[in-house]
Amino acid sequence: MHYRLDLVLKPVEGALVRVIGMTERRGFAPRAIQGFPDAADGRWRLQMVVNSGGRTAETLRRQLQKVYDCESVQISPVDGPLPGEAGAGHGGAP
Amino acid sequence: MNANTPTATAAGLRNGAAWVAHALEAEGVDTIFGYPGGAIMPFYDALVDSGLRHILVRHEQGAALAANGYARASGKVGVCVATSGPGASNLVTGIADAMLDSVPMVCLTGQVPTSLLGTDAFQELDVFGMTMPIVKHSFLVRSVDELPHVMAEAFRIAREGRPGPVLVDLPKDVQVGAATHLPAHVPAPVQAPPPPPDAALAEAIAAIAAAEKPVIYGGGGIGICDAVDEFRQFVEATGIPTVLTLRGLGALPGNHPQFLGMLGMHGTRAANIAVQECDLLVVVGARFDDRATGKLSEFAPFARVVHLDADAYEISKLRTADIALPGDLAAGLRALAAARSTAGEWRQRCTALREKHAPRYDAPGTDIYAPALLKRVSELCPDAIITADVGQHQMWVAQHCRFSHPRNHLTSGALGTMGFGLPAAMGAQFAFPDRPVVLVNGDGGFMMNVQELVTIARCKLPVKIILLDNSALGMVRQWQELFFDKRYSEIDLSDNPDFAALAQVCGIPASRIEQRSQIEDALAALLSAPGPGLLHVKIDARANVWPLVPAGQANSHMLDANPNEQKAESAHALPA
Repeated sequence: MHYRLDLVLKPVEGALVRVIGMTERRGFAPRAIQGFPDAADGRWRLQMVVNSGGRTAETLRRQLQKVYDCESVQISPVDGPLPGEAGAGHGGAP
Repeated sequence: MNANTPTATAAGLRNGAAWVAHALEAEGVDTIFGYPGGAIMPFYDALVDSGLRHILVRHEQGAALAANGYARASGKVGVCVATSGPGASNLVTGIADAMLDSVPMVCLTGQVPTSLLGTDAFQELDVFGMTMPIVKHSFLVRSVDELPHVMAEAFRIAREGRPGPVLVDLPKDVQVGAATHLPAHVPAPVQAPPPPPDAALAEAIAAIAAAEKPVIYGGGGIGICDAVDEFRQFVEATGIPTVLTLRGLGALPGNHPQFLGMLGMHGTRAANIAVQECDLLVVVGARFDDRATGKLSEFAPFARVVHLDADAYEISKLRTADIALPGDLAAGLRALAAARSTAGEWRQRCTALREKHAPRYDAPGTDIYAPALLKRVSELCPDAIITADVGQHQMWVAQHCRFSHPRNHLTSGALGTMGFGLPAAMGAQFAFPDRPVVLVNGDGGFMMNVQELVTIARCKLPVKIILLDNSALGMVRQWQELFFDKRYSEIDLSDNPDFAALAQVCGIPASRIEQRSQIEDALAALLSAPGPGLLHVKIDARANVWPLVPAGQANSHMLDANPNEQKAESAHALPA
C-alpha cells in the first residue's frame, strides 16, 4: 500500500534527515520525494510517497507529528502501483 | 530586546560557554556529570566561576548513565557533558537508554569550530547526525546568538509531554564567542497535554461497569507523568485486579491486595493468567512492549482495550484500542475513578491466583538463594531507591523486591543496557544524598562501568552495592540452556576478579558471602555503614529465572523448572 505524505517543515538543519529517517525506521520505504521552500513563509514543503509494507499509516503520521521540526503532516492513500514498480506501466511511449 | 531586558553582561558572562553554564543554573540544574576534553574546554573553564556542581566521572558513558539515573530518580532533567569525537560517541548508549525509557536529559557536547566542520578535523564527529534516531531532538549551535533559543527549547523539549534526551552540540567558537549582548536565560514554559476526550472517558466508564473480567495494565507512563496518586485512587475506586510492567512497578505498593504482579516474559503466573482471561484491559501509560505481551496476536485474546496514554502515538500502535484516551494521564485517571466495577467473582478468582502462585522462598540447602536475599533487602529498606543492572538479577529484583513508588526502582527497561546499574545508582544518590540507594548488579554488567567505583569512593556516596556473582552471563546462559540445546557459548566469567578486593582498591569497604546463614549479618553491616559498601554474593551459575515465557510465544505458555530440572537445581544450586 502506498501513501502520500504532505509535510511542512521548519527550514532548519536536520529537518529533512529527521523526517526521512523516522519514516524509514518505522518501516515505511520512501519511493518518491520532492520538496521546495514556500515562497510565502520560507517553510519547506515536502511531499513523499511511501510504501507502507503493511504498516498502519496513521501511526506514522502521529510519529512524524512528534518530530520537533515537523509542523504538519497529512497522509493520504495512493491508488495503484507507482512508476517503476511491479504492475506499473513503463510510463514512456505506448 | 528592550532597555529593561537583563543581559548576560550584568552577570559577567563573557562568552557563550559561560552563558550556557548560566542557562543551566537558570533551569534549576545543580549537578552535572561529565568528562572534559579539547573541544569542550571553554565550558569547563566557565564552570570554575559557576555555581554548578560537576561530577567528574571516569568514562563518558558513566556520565550519561549517571545523568540518566539522576533524572529517573528525581524527575528533573539530567545533564551530562562530553567533548567532541570519542567523548561524544561514548555518551551514545546512555542517550539511547534515556530515549527508549523516556528519561529527560540534556546532553552537551563540544564540537570543533564551525569553520572546521566537515573537514575531518581532529576529534570531529557528526554527533548531531549519529544521535538523530536516539534523541527527542538535537541542536548544532552555529552562533552564540542561537544560545538563548536553543537552551530554552532543549529543556522544554526534554521535559514536555513524553520526556526524552536532547543533544546540544557546541562548536568551540560558539563557546568562546562574546556573549555579553545576550539576555539572561528564561526557561520556556512546559505545556501539559489536554485531558482525554469526555465522550471517550464516558465510554470507558461504561465499559468498566459492563466488564465481567476487567484487568488494569499499568506501565512506566504512570511514574513519568507523576500520576501515581491518581492511578492508586482509580485502582482502589474500581477494585479491579491490576498488573504492572517492569517500568510500572511501584505504581501500586507491592503488597497491595489488588496487585497481581508484573506481567510478561518473567511476570507472575497470576498476572499473565489474568490478562489472558480478561474481557476488558484498561491500559494506563503502557505501550504493549513485546516483553510484556509475548506473542501479540495471542495477547489478552478476549479483551476489549481501553488505552490511556499521554503519547497519542502509542495508542493503537501495536494493539488497536477499542476506546482511545489520548491525553493527560492524571486528568484521565481522575475521571475514570468515577467508574465502578461489579466483577466480584473475578476479583475472587484473581486473589486465588495470586495466592496459589505466590513465590516461595523456602528453597532447600545452604547456598544463597538470590530471590530470598532480594526479598530480605527490600524488607530491610522499604523506601530505598533500588537500582538494577541488566540480566537475571534484574528480573529477580523486579519479581522479589517491593517498591513504594516507580521512582524507587531504576532499571533499564527498553534498551536493556548492561553497565547501567552502577552509574545510575550514583546519579540517584546525587539526587537524594540522604536516602538509601541500593544497587543490585550482576557480575557481567558490573565490569562494564566498574570504573565508576572510583567516582563513588571519591564523592563518598553511600551507595550500597550487592553484587550477585554467578561467574557467568546468566541470562544468556539460561537461554542457551533452554533454547540452544545447552550449547554454551561465551558465557563463562569464572575468571572474574576478586570483587571485594577490587572495591577495596578503589576505596570502598567490601565483604563476601557464600552461605545463606551469612546473609543477615552481612546485610546489616552493609546497610548500616555510613559510606559506600559492596557485598560480593556468590550464587550458583545454574540458577534460572522463573517463570519464563519463551520469546515469540503467548504469555499463556509460561515455563517453569520442571521436576527433573528442579531436582537438578536442588542438587546443585540449592543443595539439601
